Amino acid sequence: MVISPLHRKALRDLRRLWAQVLAIALVLAAGVATMILGNGAYASLFETRARYYEANRFADVFADVTRAPRALMGEIEAIDGVLAAEARIVKLGLLDLADMAEPGSVLFVSLPENAEVGLNRLHLRQGRLPDPQSSDEVVISEGFAAAHRLRPGAPLGVLMNGQRLELLVTGIALSPEFVYALGPGEMMPDPRRFGVAWLPRASLEAAFDLEGAFSNVVLKLAPGASQDRVIAALDRLTAPYGGIGATGRSDQISHAFLDAELKQLSAMVKVLPPIFLLVAAMLVNMTLSRLITLEREQIGLLKAIGYSARAIALHYVEFVLLIAVLGIAIGLMAGAWLGMGLAQMYAHFFSFPFLVFTRDPQIYVIASGITAAAAVGGAIYAVRAVLTLPPAVAMAPPAPADYRRRQSRLPHVFAMRQTSVMIARHLFRWPFRTLSSTFGIAMSVAILVASLWSFGSINHMIDVTFFRAERHDAQVVFGSPEPLRAVYAARQMPGVMVAEPFRLVAARISHRNLSKRLALIGKIEDPRLSRVLDPALRPMTMPEAGLVLSAALAEALNVRAGDTVTVEFPEGRRPTVSLPVSGISLGYVGLGAAIDITALNRTMGEGALISGLNLQIDAAAQADFFAAAKSTPKTEFVTVTALTISRFKQTLAENITVMITVYVILAAIIAVGVVYNFTRISLSEQGRELASLRVLGFTRAEVAGVLFGELAAVVLLAQPLGWLIGYAIGVSMVAAFSSDLYRVPFVVGREVYATASLVVFAAALASAVAIRARINTLDMIEVLKTRE
Amino acid sequence: MVAGADIVFRAKGLTKVYRIGELEVHALRGVDFQASRGEFIVILGPSGSGKSTFLNIVGGLDAATAGEAWFEDHQLTALDERGLTQYRRDHVGFVFQFYNLVPSLTARENVQLVTEIARHPMKADDALALVGLSERRDHFPAQLSGGEQQRVAIARAIAKNPEVLLCDEPTGALDSATGIKVLESLTLVNRTIGATTLVITHNAAIRDIADRVLRFADGQIVEETVNTTKKNPSEVTW
Ligand SMILES: Nc1ncnc2c1ncn2[C@@H]1O[C@H](COP(=O)(O)OP(=O)(O)O)[C@@H](O)[C@H]1O
Ligand SMILES: [Mg+2]
Repeated sequence: MVISPLHRKALRDLRRLWAQVLAIALVLAAGVATMILGNGAYASLFETRARYYEANRFADVFADVTRAPRALMGEIEAIDGVLAAEARIVKLGLLDLADMAEPGSVLFVSLPENAEVGLNRLHLRQGRLPDPQSSDEVVISEGFAAAHRLRPGAPLGVLMNGQRLELLVTGIALSPEFVYALGPGEMMPDPRRFGVAWLPRASLEAAFDLEGAFSNVVLKLAPGASQDRVIAALDRLTAPYGGIGATGRSDQISHAFLDAELKQLSAMVKVLPPIFLLVAAMLVNMTLSRLITLEREQIGLLKAIGYSARAIALHYVEFVLLIAVLGIAIGLMAGAWLGMGLAQMYAHFFSFPFLVFTRDPQIYVIASGITAAAAVGGAIYAVRAVLTLPPAVAMAPPAPADYRRRQSRLPHVFAMRQTSVMIARHLFRWPFRTLSSTFGIAMSVAILVASLWSFGSINHMIDVTFFRAERHDAQVVFGSPEPLRAVYAARQMPGVMVAEPFRLVAARISHRNLSKRLALIGKIEDPRLSRVLDPALRPMTMPEAGLVLSAALAEALNVRAGDTVTVEFPEGRRPTVSLPVSGISLGYVGLGAAIDITALNRTMGEGALISGLNLQIDAAAQADFFAAAKSTPKTEFVTVTALTISRFKQTLAENITVMITVYVILAAIIAVGVVYNFTRISLSEQGRELASLRVLGFTRAEVAGVLFGELAAVVLLAQPLGWLIGYAIGVSMVAAFSSDLYRVPFVVGREVYATASLVVFAAALASAVAIRARINTLDMIEVLKTRE
Repeated sequence: MVAGADIVFRAKGLTKVYRIGELEVHALRGVDFQASRGEFIVILGPSGSGKSTFLNIVGGLDAATAGEAWFEDHQLTALDERGLTQYRRDHVGFVFQFYNLVPSLTARENVQLVTEIARHPMKADDALALVGLSERRDHFPAQLSGGEQQRVAIARAIAKNPEVLLCDEPTGALDSATGIKVLESLTLVNRTIGATTLVITHNAAIRDIADRVLRFADGQIVEETVNTTKKNPSEVTW
């Protein structure tokens, strides 16, 4: 096969300009990789979840009741749109393990008689299901088993309804209900301090005095059924039995966290790949324009000997396509590899029995197509010049660069050195290139700002949440409300220095057509431990009458201080009241609404009750406190702030290195790509002038200074722009990250900007060093022998 | 000029061999040379005879393969890159066939480029006045004719008050009338600042304006003529 001369030229150009080609290809590759990674991870997670739910019959509707007779199930099953219903007993208990002094929780969940046919079916990993007749056999969740090295046959000490029991682990399992297993009162899953235990119904019925009754019901809906209508019907049926309102999947904790993750992934796919493709298109344009300028004479010659303008234009497009192919190849490999890494992270973080790693060829094809289109798009403007160039003009050397037009009146405002004047004029001579390079480097800064802010923000969130608002060392929550005198009992416990009561009541708060369900918290008037903070971080006192809503809730309900909202309590006497919104508070976790505890108790009309206590503990007596808290029969669960924080930080630390590394690499790819190409082109344009400066006695450093001065101007100009763009991306990411579960504060510290800039400076410096060698070997004599 | 008095340049056995793969090109084959302060020397010779190579070595742009070259008490052939740069910066003015002006700087700014880094520069405007370009000092190279550009190049070369002025075919790209103007500028400068001036040219007629004429052939100086009666460029017939 004969390769036509133009094809051969394209290949040779590729080799000759390999460094510039590689720099562009890497930017393209980053675009492809992030596209594949993001879409692939999204599809993987989405598919995995869907298949898992499907295979294990994950329920659609969830409802808790205090105690409902099993006979009610007939009516529930008869609700129009209900495909299957399952009555369960779901109760919290405490862990009592030899290897753990600190308090831990266990969620007991009853198994149906025939676990093979129920909803939320277990995926058994080891061992067997408990014998339905046994009273002590249990299957436990995998993460928890791993954290405590429990295997089938091991004993498991628990406090069930205040009674110490020794259960026997018969199996280890996963459940679609607990893909993301968050313990009560926690912010991050901690498999050490929270596990799920599935037992036969009979043993839980006995332990919780629920013979012939259930405390939780899950429904599977028929296809096309209206979830809202089913929930309404279910709520009517469960209300007499302490039902506080059913929820759909979107409010189911595990599902909601997976949703949040999916939302973040899709945000990443929307932001990152377009940045890379845009920058790559710009680089292609810049580099190709210069190449075509340099090859004017060749182009003229080719035209003169009969090549059509189209053939020549196609030659340059072919050159660009070759770069795109290289970029796509690297990107596909990197994307697949990173995708595998991300999948492993998911496998670690979420409890799935399997991971569907979709290798949907469509994603690959689309990613490749878009990338090639971006590259060719960048080429088109440059190639247009080839089409319009008449051969005779092309063959004459270009006239000396004409600077007179916009230049002559340029800054003599400051006494600039002539080399600085050169720099300024050259930058102004090619405004499009200067601007697009500035923009490219700015994007690199922006990517870093937009990724690095989250760590500072999360630290801020921890600081505000745990060191300013929730300042208690531990929190004890009772299984059911206790009379106020429980406070005095608590103060007698070892190590307890301060005890502040609170009351939690399920509520639905509505404003016009908007409503949200949450747990309304009643606090003492001037809490010292668990405080409510205003947006300026000042502690708020509980208003005599009226609510303090968290900013997130106020936004969700579209209310402002002074508005009146309706509060329905689906508990006890089920009162409904209208209350003024007295203030808006800061809060990052969940939707929050606070009220004076006395006012709350008055409304509920059940006497002075409390749901739990916030405690300040003497560190020296901590172990004794843990033991005492555990053995108090009323305790449902205990959280220890220090453990919550350390788990939070540990989880972040695990992700932080990976994330920083990935983003720094991505940003560096852009910075290096832009800086290297910009500087190479500038050197190619000014090589002659720079060599002349050397002849005139300018040192290598001074000559390099001209080129690097130009680069420095572009890089410096890019910083504030990059900060700004990064800030804007950050703002939109906050929106993507925020859900009813979390609201991420947008705090960008100076160190974020500084770090972003430093990384980009380092990348620019590395590229500059690579080019420095070329400046040193500028051939002075060659330049003098030839005319431009 | 009296030989031995105030010698600026000395070269002994100056040899330059270019290696292109297997091939060896002997550009200079043992050149011995001396120049006195303020001398105006014209170098003639066929193309490829080694004139430029010689000028480049003497000007500190290139290194010799063997032999010695001295400028005053600096041994050029012993200087490293840094030393040669300093030598060019402090002592040498260059003028080339292609003017090599910086296109983004005006005539005056091109001159200032040099005066800013020179030790004893003249005023940029004075240098331009010397070559008769005061009027055009705010023009960019693209706005100047070839002759004018070359005179800016000369102004730039002399603005540092160099001890030596090296010109490689300065009129090569110019028509003869313009060439005369350029040569007039060179002789004027030579007289005004007293720089030792070496001019390579193809034009034999130029010899009459020189103190001394060297003829190169095949990498050697084959003929040396001392002019006893120096003419002004305007008297020369081209
Ligand atoms: N960089 C170089 N590499 C190889 N050969 C060279 C180089 N520069 C000059 N030459 C050769 O050296 C010889 C002398 O060249 P040069 O000094 O430029 O001659 P002149 O200026 O007299 O025309 C020529 O044969 C030329 O081809
Ligand atoms: Mg020559």
